[in-house]
Amino acid sequence: MTDYSMKDIEWARINKDVLTSLESPRMAFWVVLAVCAFLVLCGAAAEAYQYKEGLGVALMDRPHFWQLYISNFIFWIGMSHSGTLLSAVLLLTKADWRKPIYRFAEAMTLFSILTAAIFPVIHLGRVWNLYWVLPYPNERTIWPNFRSPLLWDASAIFTYATSSALFLYVGMIPDLAICRDNAKGWRKKLYTTLSLGWMGRAREWLAFRKAYVLMGCFLVPLAVSVHSIVASDFAMSIVPDWHITSFPPYFVAGALYSGCAAIITLFVMLRYVFKFEAYMTTEIMDKVAKLTFAIAMVWNYLNLSEYASIWYSNDMFEHEVLIQKFIGPYWPVVWGMLLCSTVAPFAMAFKKFRHNMWGMFWLSLVIQLGMWLERFQIVSPSLASNHEPWTWAVVWPGTVQLTLTLASFGWFTMLFLIFCKMFPSVSMYEVKEMVFHRREASSRSEMEDLEKVKNDMIKTEEGLA
Amino acid sequence: MSVRRRKKHLLFATFEDFDEARDVVSELKVLDLKEMVVENIELYSPIEHPEVEEILGEFHQPIQRFTFFGAITGAVCAFLLVAAAAQSMFTVQPQGGKAVIPLPADIVVTYEGTILFGVLSTLAAFFIYSGMPHRLRKYYSQKVSEDQIGIEVQMLPENKEKVRAVLEKFGALEIREVTQ
Repeated sequence: MTDYSMKDIEWARINKDVLTSLESPRMAFWVVLAVCAFLVLCGAAAEAYQYKEGLGVALMDRPHFWQLYISNFIFWIGMSHSGTLLSAVLLLTKADWRKPIYRFAEAMTLFSILTAAIFPVIHLGRVWNLYWVLPYPNERTIWPNFRSPLLWDASAIFTYATSSALFLYVGMIPDLAICRDNAKGWRKKLYTTLSLGWMGRAREWLAFRKAYVLMGCFLVPLAVSVHSIVASDFAMSIVPDWHITSFPPYFVAGALYSGCAAIITLFVMLRYVFKFEAYMTTEIMDKVAKLTFAIAMVWNYLNLSEYASIWYSNDMFEHEVLIQKFIGPYWPVVWGMLLCSTVAPFAMAFKKFRHNMWGMFWLSLVIQLGMWLERFQIVSPSLASNHEPWTWAVVWPGTVQLTLTLASFGWFTMLFLIFCKMFPSVSMYEVKEMVFHRREASSRSEMEDLEKVKNDMIKTEEGLA
Repeated sequence: MSVRRRKKHLLFATFEDFDEARDVVSELKVLDLKEMVVENIELYSPIEHPEVEEILGEFHQPIQRFTFFGAITGAVCAFLLVAAAAQSMFTVQPQGGKAVIPLPADIVVTYEGTILFGVLSTLAAFFIYSGMPHRLRKYYSQKVSEDQIGIEVQMLPENKEKVRAVLEKFGALEIREVTQ
């Protein structure tokens, strides 16, 4: 059935509502921002302490050289997936319900990548030697080893971050022009510079649409490749439970799943904080929830097939790790993950639940917790019982690691909120397009109805005659 | 000898909706066929109207060619980077059993290079064909970014009144006269 909701919204009102969000959010905005800033400060202190004392304070020792920092890295890379990927897919398939929500989803992508990029740096320990990963020869004329998946990771993430940032920026240019036309003071200067003189001329629109769609075409395979390559960091090794063929699609599905959950969280948050009830409607939430549920089922299938392929592989090391995951010391993590990411999403099968904004908000947080546990259970339990039994050790994250993890959530949310305060988090011109097309479709439908009534009347008159 | 630039005479009018603007452009085109009064017409709108090419004529914007050649350039550069790095490693640390050109690594980095350069060249093409960045025109109306359609007509000064009459006939909300 064609959706005609939102067709009566005036264009001027769309501008007004979105521009107001740049000025006066609810009090909750400032409270959340203050909490995030505090978390970031705590993280900075933990990081400084770690540099001073060494990576030992992060409990990084044999065999746990990859622990929470790498789990967080995968989690944030995963989170970055849905924004740009879904935006691009929905753009190419011309799904108009993407229009009110794609901007913040794309911003989420960018800030997730920026958050993820911090963790390899923290994990390196010697941040001052970061430039060693750049592809140029050192003083012994030895080049970086491109055969390492870690370097593939660097190239994929750099490409994804650059392309996502450009996709977000290009898609925002017409809105920046609206902001420019309505702003004063320093904001006017900022928007004037960023909008590059956009005036909405026909040649600008046509070039814009062509370029935007072409960029979208590139971003779909790019997003899939990025998480596949992150999965290669694991799958290319011989560690039991990592060396699995299905890891790349499993990672991509997990990334989409956690990303969709994050979109739901931010959807409800923005709807409440910026009073976007007219644009972020229950119909759109319903569609996002259905999509999330479908992706959840794909992720569950891949998860189960991973267990099955290990079970039937007849490899004693793989068996041992799998059994240890369920009944070993890390069992709360694995069972917690299954509860949060496998059982909980079934709530979305019910329409009544999908239409309950705060219910969806809490469920999305539960799913994200589950997906964070999933990342942890990929990294730590496998290292804890690897091929070398004399190195087996159970290590739980310490205060420094947990503080930096919390700080990463604060950092992401802080960047996101600042973005929403500086730039329109709902695309004004695309919502206008949506309203325009729905209005046209509605009037077309009314005309068809009238035509039908007229034809019926003619037939009736003919019958009477 | 200095070259004196000919002054441009423009009328910039705003309209309530796209249908009105379409009628105006059609009328101006008819007038132009009869009396050659219009030099150029530009249309400004708050949203994209793909059908604008039907009334203004097709715009030559081969952005996809930039994308294609950019992507190929990216693929070649990325492939050569990894291949060259492998050669460099090979000459400095000769060792057996290693590929002269490591294809799996090369394929991954080539893939990423293709996409990166493809996106960057698409962006460059967008700027070239949209004529951006440029300064905001003095007669630009902020209403165009809100809910009105703008039409800019360039003509010779002696035809100004004829064009104005057409704009007024179709209910222009505001008409700005510019000479620059």
